[in-house]
Formats: sequence, structure tokens, C-alpha cells
Amino acid sequence: MSDLPPMTSVKRWLVTTNHKDVGILYITTALFFLLLGGAMALLFRVQLWEPGGLGILEPVQFNQAVSTHGLLMVFWFLSPIASGFANYLVPLQIGAKDLAFPRLNALSYWFYLFSGILFVLSFFQGQTYAGGWTLYAPLNVPMYTPAMDATAGNNAAILALTLFVMSITIGSVNFLTTIHRSRAEGLGLWNMPMFTWSWLLTVWMMLFAFAALLAALLLLSIDRLFLTEYFMTDQGSSLLWAHLFWFFGHPEVYIVFFPALGIMFETFQTFTGRRLVGRKWVIIAMVLVAVQSFLVWMHHMFLTTINLEIKTLYMATTIGISLPFDLMVFSLIYTMVKGRVRFTTPFLFSLGALVLFILGGITGVFLGAVVLDYEFRGTYWVVAHFHYVMVSGVTALVAGLYYWWPKITGKMYSEALGKLNFAVYFIGFNMLYFPMFLAWETPRRVFHYGESAQIYHQIATVGAFVLGLSFLIMFFTFAKSWISGPKAPDNPWEYSRTAEWAIPSPPPLENWDGRPSYASGRLEFVDDSPAATDGGVAHGQGNTAEASVEHEAEHADHASIWPFGIGVGMFVFFLGLSGLTPFVANFAEGTAEPPEGLVGFETQPDIMYPVLIALGMAIMGITLFQFGREKFDAPVMNIAERWPFGGIGNTKFGIWVFLASDVIVFGAAIGAYIFMRLHMGWMDWEFDPITMAGLVNTYILLTSSFTVIIALVMAERKNKSGLLGAMGATVLLALAFMGVKAFEYTQKMGDGHYWWYSIEYSIYYVTTGLHALHVILGVLVALFMIYRIISIDAYLEDHRPVEFFGLYWHFVDIVWVLLFPLFYLM
Amino acid sequence: MANLRTYTLIYILLVALATGKFVFFEFNFAYATAIGGTIVLAVTKILLIAGYYQHLIEEPRAISYMMATAVFMVFLLVIAAGYSIQ
Ligand code: HEM
Ligand SMILES: [Cu+2]
Repeated sequence: MSDLPPMTSVKRWLVTTNHKDVGILYITTALFFLLLGGAMALLFRVQLWEPGGLGILEPVQFNQAVSTHGLLMVFWFLSPIASGFANYLVPLQIGAKDLAFPRLNALSYWFYLFSGILFVLSFFQGQTYAGGWTLYAPLNVPMYTPAMDATAGNNAAILALTLFVMSITIGSVNFLTTIHRSRAEGLGLWNMPMFTWSWLLTVWMMLFAFAALLAALLLLSIDRLFLTEYFMTDQGSSLLWAHLFWFFGHPEVYIVFFPALGIMFETFQTFTGRRLVGRKWVIIAMVLVAVQSFLVWMHHMFLTTINLEIKTLYMATTIGISLPFDLMVFSLIYTMVKGRVRFTTPFLFSLGALVLFILGGITGVFLGAVVLDYEFRGTYWVVAHFHYVMVSGVTALVAGLYYWWPKITGKMYSEALGKLNFAVYFIGFNMLYFPMFLAWETPRRVFHYGESAQIYHQIATVGAFVLGLSFLIMFFTFAKSWISGPKAPDNPWEYSRTAEWAIPSPPPLENWDGRPSYASGRLEFVDDSPAATDGGVAHGQGNTAEASVEHEAEHADHASIWPFGIGVGMFVFFLGLSGLTPFVANFAEGTAEPPEGLVGFETQPDIMYPVLIALGMAIMGITLFQFGREKFDAPVMNIAERWPFGGIGNTKFGIWVFLASDVIVFGAAIGAYIFMRLHMGWMDWEFDPITMAGLVNTYILLTSSFTVIIALVMAERKNKSGLLGAMGATVLLALAFMGVKAFEYTQKMGDGHYWWYSIEYSIYYVTTGLHALHVILGVLVALFMIYRIISIDAYLEDHRPVEFFGLYWHFVDIVWVLLFPLFYLM
Repeated sequence: MANLRTYTLIYILLVALATGKFVFFEFNFAYATAIGGTIVLAVTKILLIAGYYQHLIEEPRAISYMMATAVFMVFLLVIAAGYSIQ
């Protein structure tokens, strides 16, 4: 596969791995979810027209509209549209030809799209999720809230989010590798364009924050599908969720805001004709915020039972995090004051974003004070605050749309329409959200409120429609430009300075003619072709290695259908999972120790779901296999800035980054155990391990780590049978490990200790099960590698894949080093 | 990369350390001692595996920092959350 069909063919969009195509896909898909989330909002704003509701929505429908609105906007719109910009622009801004792993990039997009489709389907499977976007426990499980019955739709919404998070994880690994390892010569980190900077910090935050959410969602899904009790106990569950969710959730607010901030910096520079004032300090401030964002999460828990000392501490850190923001705001203001402003549409939107952000930020500081939050929590004050900040972000993203529209489409838009768009947007925004501050006594997510607040709610509802209208104007402006707009020059903005403006609009498939370089202090295109060297080629060996690399680079691939296929497989699989609960519930009822007092698991089994599970697994098996076999040459960069990650290959670095996120996933799962046990009282934990099984498995797994290392040594020695033997031994040891596990689980169940028996057993089964799942995935990869060794003598010339596999396998071993004492000894 | 001999030595060491944890709990050590000792053994094992089997000591230092950051995040979450309910 290598030839890319033209843009007008549907096939192009199914197979493309090119970063610009994927960027366009992300942006358009995100805009679609914006419309869907917006429709939800309009629905419940109409319901809120009078106290007690107009009656266009049933109460539980209202809750669904509110919840899905939040989920769609935060997850399926905000981050993905930023991701779209990043896909399109970050490689251009750093002088790369594509992302480090183009096929993985397509895969993240397909996971994203299919997660969205799954979420939409959840509306049609009984009912969708209705417990609020924060998914608080125990609202997120059916036990205490019959409306949250474990219908397929409810489960599908949670699973969709899980798939979405997987997409984010893959994307973060890809971008971290790209930005750290594919910067053009001479482009040090300090000199990176501001949008790329903001995105680099965003993906670092994503890597750690979303891993915590992934852990939380895995536990929640398992609760819902398999009846474990993480979020169903009457003690500790809601705090456990709150900690996991907000450990993700606070960084998440910067994750959605940073790309917007990056766009504000870019547009302020371009349209004031001035370099950002105190640029270095702004970067330092952003780095500080990224770090600090992980230190404030408990300001969302001021009304829980956490102790006063920690609340006070988190009040202090919350005030701390607003300080770097002040610096950024002042920098923007000074840049504007010192420059000569051109009031184009993108600039107006960016300026609007700044104004709104200041208001939102100040009201956030109110909420950060424990005493004030006692009053404000759960009211419209919070709703108003976070809409001012988050939708300020949206405002800047719209600025980005206008700013880069000419680059992406090659067409100019009408400034008059753009300005009209801004005016309507800004008026609609403030009509919608400002009255919420005044109606602050309204409880959030409820359509009952005091009569005196009615006028504010009515203004807000009208504002919502005005804001909606502004988006129609936006779409009209773009459609008109697309159809009949004048052709855009390479650089329509006089003072833009970043590299994407130095090439045609839209840029060609491979972005650059020569190799971009900043070695001389400014952007230049260097001609590296062998012909241009001093004759070395003609005389033989000297340059052949380079020349052949060049040759390969010319034939870089841009198309693969397998990412799409894997996406389809995952989608079908997850859709099937959503209907699993009734089967598990029936099974549980039939055992010797059925769960007691199980409420909300009454849905009838539907055979379609298990069939879908099997089908999904089959599709994934085939497509992953083909993905692994496909020969795909990503565009390579032989000369690049790589600080601080030089001296290690792209793939190896990518695996390490992935492992870093997996550390958090496992860490959060293990943390859940420690937390629940602490909550219960460490010594009151009632769990009776089969210590010997744990010990034996420890030896088995350690030995398998050893055989994997031997495999690497054998590959280095080009010893095929040795390599085969060592890989085979690893697989056998892994199977032995699984055998012991099976023995252990059967023993436990024989005693009536199923995973629903108690929180202790839930945690035991899930944590060790998550680990076992890693073992199984490892076995599948190992089998694939054995197949490759037998069929094509793989890894003898290039042994790196054996080493990569080892990195993963040793990690799985390390996790067991912790699980053994925690679950079998303590 | 290290040679087979080093790998084998480390393997023997790992097995010994694993047995050590078991000994701590099966023979009458005080619970606190057992936990403390086990933590030391587990950390040693992890450092050995990561350092030599995953070759972290040969990779750029920044990789180790990144992994340390991830581990730190976990500690941050667990310790702060654990403290919050004391
Ligand atoms: C300038 C510094 C900021 C401070 C001091 C701050 C503070 C807070 C606090 C204390 C809360 C909890 C209120 C409560 O639930 O009782 C909160 C909620 C929230 N904030 Fe901020 N915030 C700031 C900036 C931001 C930004 C930049 C965003 C997003 C772009 C944001 C988004 C949110 C969201 C979404 C919630 C509500 C979460 C929920 O659904 O419960 N905040 N903020
Ligand atoms: Cu927060």
C-alpha cells in the first residue's frame, strides 16, 4: 500500500495516514459533535424556560441531555478539534514530514470516530447515561439509582468514553515522539512556535491525566459489566471515584484550554506584528501550570469528607496555580499595547477569548476558597465559571479556524461575514452565561429554581439560541469561501512568522521541497539530494547508506487500510460488551453465592451482544495481524533536533512513553486497592490468599523475563533456533502462569468467593485480572513474533523488535513484583 | 548491552529477592518489619529489572526521569488521597 487516492475519493479518507488529512478528519468530526452537543444544550435550555420545566423533556431525559451535553463537548468536541489543529500544524511548525507513527495516528482518529458513534448509539439502546459528565459514584452504578439501570445504552456511553481515552493515549504517545524527535535542524525547544509549545505541554498532561481516567473507567466498566463493587460499596466508593476522576479532571481543564491559549499567542503575535512580550517567561509559566495542574485536584472535593488540613492545602495550591496565568494574561495585554493591532476576525475571536477568560478565571478563584465553595458548590455559579473558561477556549479555537482556514483550504473567507460572526457570537455568549452568575442560587443539573431567577434563565435561553445562530453564520462563511472564495496566497497575514506560512496553501503531500532547517537562525530549505553532494556517490561506498535512506524517504507510504479495520473491530467489540451485563447477572444468580441485594441489573439478555463480541474479536484478530505484517515506511528524518531524547530510536521511545502511561493505569488500580483498604482500616481487610500460588507465579514470571532476555541475546547472535527456543519458552511460561491463575480463581470460586462477594474480592480479581490481560496480550504478540521468525527469519538482521517486546514483558513482570506482596502476603 | 553472564546473575538475584519477601511474611517477623523489608526488596527488584533487563541504565537519562515522573504521580495520588481520609 502506498499510493494515496485523490482527495475527492472516499477511499482516500479511509486509508490516509497523512497528518494533514487526519487533521482535517479530526476537525470536521469534532465540529459534528459540537453540533450534537449544542443540540442537547438547546433542548435543556428550552426545558429551563420556567421553574419546574416546560415539559418538553421527561426528568430522566433532561438528565440525559445535560450529561451527554457535557460529555460530548468536553471529550468529543474540545480536545479532538485541538487535536485536529495539532495534526495539521505541529508537523508543519516543527519542519517534519509527518508524525512519527503515521498509521498509529490514523488509528487514534478511527478510535475517536468510532467511540463517538458508539456514544451516539447509546441513545438508542434503552437510554443513555444520565449521571452528569463527572460520572460521580454511586450515581454511575445502578445500585442506588434505578434510573441508572445497567442497560446496554448506559454501558455503551461508559465504554465509548473508554475507547475515546484509548484514542487519546495513542495520540499522546505519537505527538510526544514527534515533537521530541522530529524537529528541524536548529529548532531548539525554546524556539518552537507557541502553538506547538502549548500542544507539547498538552500531550504531556494528557499522557498522565488520561491514564488515571482510563483506570477509573476500566474499573467502572468492570463494575457495570461484571458486577464488581468498586463503586457500589456504601463506604469509600464515592471518594475513590472523586479522587481518580479529579486527578484527571483538573489537568483536563488545562488540557482543553492550552491549545486555545497557543492559538491566542500565535494570533496575537501575527496581528499585532510583535513578538510575544516576555516569551520565555510565558513558556516557563505554561510549564509551571502543566506541573501544578496535578497538585490541585481536591479543590473539586471541598464538600466531601476529606479532612480540613488537606482542603486548606489545596486551597493554597489553587491560588498558586492562578499566578502563572496572571503572567500569561499580562503578556498578552502588553503585546497588544506595544504592537499595532489589525482587527481581523481571528484576532477579534482571540481578544474575545482573553476577555472571557479573565472573567472566568477570577470567578474560579472564588471557588478555590474553601469557605466560599461551601456556598457555591453545585450551583449555577460553578456552571457560569467553567463555561466562561472553557468556552473562552472554544472562542480561541474558532479564532484558529479562521486563522488557518486559508492555509488548509487555499481559499480566503469574507472578513465582513467573519466580523458579523464574532459580534453575534460574543453577544450570544454573554447573554447565555452571564445571567448564570446572577441566577447562581439555581442548583445545577436540576430544572427547578426560584421564581426570582426566571428572568435570568430566560435571557440565558435566548442567548443560547443567539450563540447557536453565530455558529450557523460561521458555517455559512466557510461554505461560501469554500465554494466561491478567492484563492489564498501562501501567506495572507503580513506578520505571521511560523513555518506553515512559508509553503503553498494548501501544502503539498510531503510538505517541503527541500529539508527545512533553522541552522542559520532562520528558516531555509536545504537540498540534501545525492546529486548535490560533492561527487561521493559516483565514487562508490562513501554515501550509499545516506543515498539509500534518501531513496526510501522518497517512497514514504501514506496509506493503510488496517487502522480503519482495527477501529471497526474495536467498535463492534465494545458494542457487544455493552450488552454483557444481563448474561453475567444470570450467571451470578445461578451460582452458590449469588450477589446480595443486587439492584438495577434487570435488563433482559440479548443474544446479539455476545455475537458482536465474538465478531469484533475476529475482526481485530485479522486486522491486527495484517497491520503487523504490512510493510510501511514512515517518512524518516535523518537530521533532526531531539533534545532531550536523542540517542534512542523513535519506536523505542514511543514504547517507553506508552509504558509511562501504563505505570499510571496500574498505579491507579493498585492505588484504588490501597485507598479502599486504608478507608476500611488496613487490618480489617478480609481476604485469604493462596500464597503458594502467588509465589510459584512469581518464579514463573521472573523466569519468563529471563527467557525474553535470552531471546534478545540470541537475536543479536543471529541464532535462529536459539531465538525460537527462547521465545517459545516465554510463551510456555506465560501459559503456565495463566494455568496457575486459573487454578487459583477456581479455588476461590469453589469457596463461593466470586468477584461480587465483597470489595476485597472485587479488587483482587480485577487487579490481578488486569495484569493477566497484559500477559495474554503479550502472549499474542509473542506468538506473532514466532510466526514471523519461522516464516521470514525475522529479527536476525534487525533485533530491535525483540528488545521492544522485552520492554513490555519486563514491565508486566515489574507489576507482578508489586502485586505479589500486596495480594498474597500483606 | 550486558552479556549473558550478567543477565544470569541478575536472574538469580531476582529469585532470591522474591523468596526474601515470602520469608518476611511466613516466618515470624513483626508485620511492620515485614512490610518495610518487602518494600525494600520490591524496589530493589524493580530497579534491577528496569535497569538491566530493560537497559534503562544505557538509555538517555531523560527516559529514566520520565518513568520516575510517572511513578511520582502515582505516589502523589495515593499518598494524598490516603492522607485525605485520615
Ligand atoms: C484560573 C484558575 C482557575 C481556578 C482557581 C479554578 C477553580 C475552580 C474550582 C475551585 C472549581 C470547583 C468548583 C465546585 O465544583 O464547587 C472549579 C470548577 C470547574 N472549573 Fe475551574 N478554575 C480555574 C480555571 C479553569 C479553567 C481554565 C477551566 C477550563 C478551561 C476550568 C474549568 C472548570 C470546570 C469544568 C469546573 C466544573 C467541574 C464540574 O463539573 O464540577 N477552570 N474551578
Ligand atoms: Cu479544578
